[in-house]
Amino acid sequence: MFLSKIWFILIAVAAGVALSIALAAPRPMAQKLEELEGQRLDRAQYAAEQMLKVDAHKWIDRVAKLGRDAILSEALDSASRGTGELGVQHKTVQSRIRSLLPDLSTAGIASITAVDAYGRVVARVGDNEKEYGENIAGAEIVADALRGYLSDDVWGAGGHLLRVAGAPVLSKSRDRIVGALLIGAETGPQFAERLKRNLDMDVALLLRGKVIAATLDPTQLAALPELVAQHRAEIEDVKRTPALPLEVGPDTYLAVAGAFPGQASQQQGYYVLIGRKPAKADLGSLLANTSARDLKWGSFPWLSLIGSILAAVAIGLLLQRLEVERPIARMRAELRTLARGEAVKLNDGRYSGGFGGIARDINAAIEHHAMGSLSGAVAAGGFSSSPPGDLPPAGSAFGAQAAFPSSGAPGAVAGSAAAPPPSSGFGSPSSLQSGFGAGSGASAFPPSPPLLGFSPPPPAAFSPPAGFPPSARSAPRAPSALTTSASPPGTGTGIPGGSATDDDLEDDDKHVQGVYLQFLAAKQQCGESAVGLTLDKFRQRLQENKVALMSKHDCRTVRFSVYVKDGKASLRATPVK
Amino acid sequence: MKAVRLIRTLVPAVLFAIAVPSTPGRALAGMVKGTVRLSDTARATRLHQGYWRLENGNVPVRPASGRAGTVVVLEGISGVLAPPPRTVTVEIANLEAQPRVVVVGPGSVVEFKNVGKTTHELSTPANESIMPIERLNPGTFRHQKFGAPGAYLVRCSEYPHLIISVIVVDSPYFAMVDDKGAFQMPSGVPDGKATLKVWSMGRWVHEESIDTSGKQDLTVRVLEPRSNGKESETRDPDSKDSDAANSEAKEPEAKGSGE
Repeated sequence: MFLSKIWFILIAVAAGVALSIALAAPRPMAQKLEELEGQRLDRAQYAAEQMLKVDAHKWIDRVAKLGRDAILSEALDSASRGTGELGVQHKTVQSRIRSLLPDLSTAGIASITAVDAYGRVVARVGDNEKEYGENIAGAEIVADALRGYLSDDVWGAGGHLLRVAGAPVLSKSRDRIVGALLIGAETGPQFAERLKRNLDMDVALLLRGKVIAATLDPTQLAALPELVAQHRAEIEDVKRTPALPLEVGPDTYLAVAGAFPGQASQQQGYYVLIGRKPAKADLGSLLANTSARDLKWGSFPWLSLIGSILAAVAIGLLLQRLEVERPIARMRAELRTLARGEAVKLNDGRYSGGFGGIARDINAAIEHHAMGSLSGAVAAGGFSSSPPGDLPPAGSAFGAQAAFPSSGAPGAVAGSAAAPPPSSGFGSPSSLQSGFGAGSGASAFPPSPPLLGFSPPPPAAFSPPAGFPPSARSAPRAPSALTTSASPPGTGTGIPGGSATDDDLEDDDKHVQGVYLQFLAAKQQCGESAVGLTLDKFRQRLQENKVALMSKHDCRTVRFSVYVKDGKASLRATPVK
Repeated sequence: MKAVRLIRTLVPAVLFAIAVPSTPGRALAGMVKGTVRLSDTARATRLHQGYWRLENGNVPVRPASGRAGTVVVLEGISGVLAPPPRTVTVEIANLEAQPRVVVVGPGSVVEFKNVGKTTHELSTPANESIMPIERLNPGTFRHQKFGAPGAYLVRCSEYPHLIISVIVVDSPYFAMVDDKGAFQMPSGVPDGKATLKVWSMGRWVHEESIDTSGKQDLTVRVLEPRSNGKESETRDPDSKDSDAANSEAKEPEAKGSGE
């Protein structure tokens, strides 16, 4: 589970990092794009300014050329001198202008005005073409033209913008000024569309706080005049604004406003270039701006992404199999073995992590259950009525290094296997320490399953000696074998050289029970398993070894005591003469 | 009607003429006169420039009356009385106003009369509470009273070049500058310190302290205010007291004409 957890943490961290990068990485790019868009607007504003300037010169050239027409010159000269009817002169000039410029709208001209040398309007073509006779000498461009200047201006009268170019009209002899011509160029929707085509961005024209023409929906630009008005001082200083963010419906734009020259500059006459602001860098905007083209095989690293995902899933599944599924399968197999009675506990050493804990918990539960059964049995004074099983001859495996006192002193070698280390599970100290460890070969116990301290008690394993009194044999609280074996030889218990009274038997029984409980406690203290170590089996083993030791040492009885050696519970046998 | 207006104009003038010489305790310096030499910018006759302003190349450019809107005022003279209030009529026709500059005493009324064929919308944009914007149709007039001393610009929102300067002064010593730049103060200017101010093209273009004692002739060189607020002397292309015609020939071209 450890690696799986680490893997999941790594995947989560990688996902978090990837998401953070995905959200954070576009931000500098968006800022850069916004900056670039601002620079593009700056350049566009400069281009627009140059375009207006070139346009103004073009209109001046055009009106100057128109003013060189002889018929116009003659008619204006006549009007200036006051000869002839003004109405006739009006018609003459008007028709002549029409013949020279038959299609004003195609040429982008809104009006042409001809004035005499005093500034009186002789004729108009286009806007208000029926009106003539009034004096407009006060207009600066007209005054300039009548003085001899060719100039331009931008007017903002009547809610319309008009770029005006004026030029004097000279007499036929070209020695005096006989009038002037003005051309008013359309500065409305057509002009905005032309600017848009040339600059590749949207355009709005403002006059006196109102949008008078725009390539966007003017109703969406309601906030634009106020936005530009906030930067009016800046416009007066540097003739333009920086790139200003402008909310148009759900979209955000950047806008740069420049002032028209001339009179319109006093009337808040501005042209505003509008560029779309780069998309926001939040997740929703990124997703909203993702197109199908972005997700095509050629433009998106699908193979890398799918490969990475598959690799991550495969590694995760592999780790799951190694750390989860296999231990579960193994544990299930062991549990089935346990259920069939082929084992008494789980091999918890085979499991690591949580599964090791589960295995240990299961083992502890099994032991607890077994101990509970034993304690109940001991408390009730009852012993298993099952006879002792077919155990190997007693004394064969006990006391290899047992501390049996020789001549009352412990330490004498006891048992039949004094010299070589016994392989019996009960005969060697190690076997004793391991709690009747798993022996083989000459073991006193049948072969134990791995890690099992004891095999289940074989049926009919207890066989009381022949001389065992029936009462004792039938008494549930006094296992006859133990009491018999605990008695000194020749005490009437059927054991040679000993006779046993009821008291002796009872004492031996109590002794064995006491040793047994002490042994269990010692094993528990040492963390050793006591599964399968039943009192009957314990008693039987003690009896066998006791008999062997008694015959070997010719002692009356043998007393056992529990001690701990090298962290393991062990038994010590002491012959009693 | 004309007689009433004449009386209304003449009576204060006569009273003023009587009152000024009789101011007690002041030595009168007599005549104060001089010449105003405007810088190129201040001399320009066009307020709003387009991109281009080119000479025609065939006929010489005619001069304009560049000094017509220039006024010299002496202020800060103690013990003098302000001009009495009066009513002045400004007629608007041919897309221009006549006169373009009005100098009056506190409490005077200016009558704006549209005698042209074009509708105008007059106001004082710098402070619309003084004179809110109002349509002035052809053939109609509008009266506006100017109380406190100061300079007021009345503009037409439709035709921004149409500017009427109303200067309310508390000193009787002021003079219009003629086309040659000359001015002459009313006689009887008291000796002493005074502040001379020049109004031209809709703004105060010059201010200096002078001593009127024994002064006979003044030459006022108008400095051009720079954008940073400091003033610097503009090189006068006609430093030998050129006349208006000569200086007009050197009138600056439009800002883009040389590019």
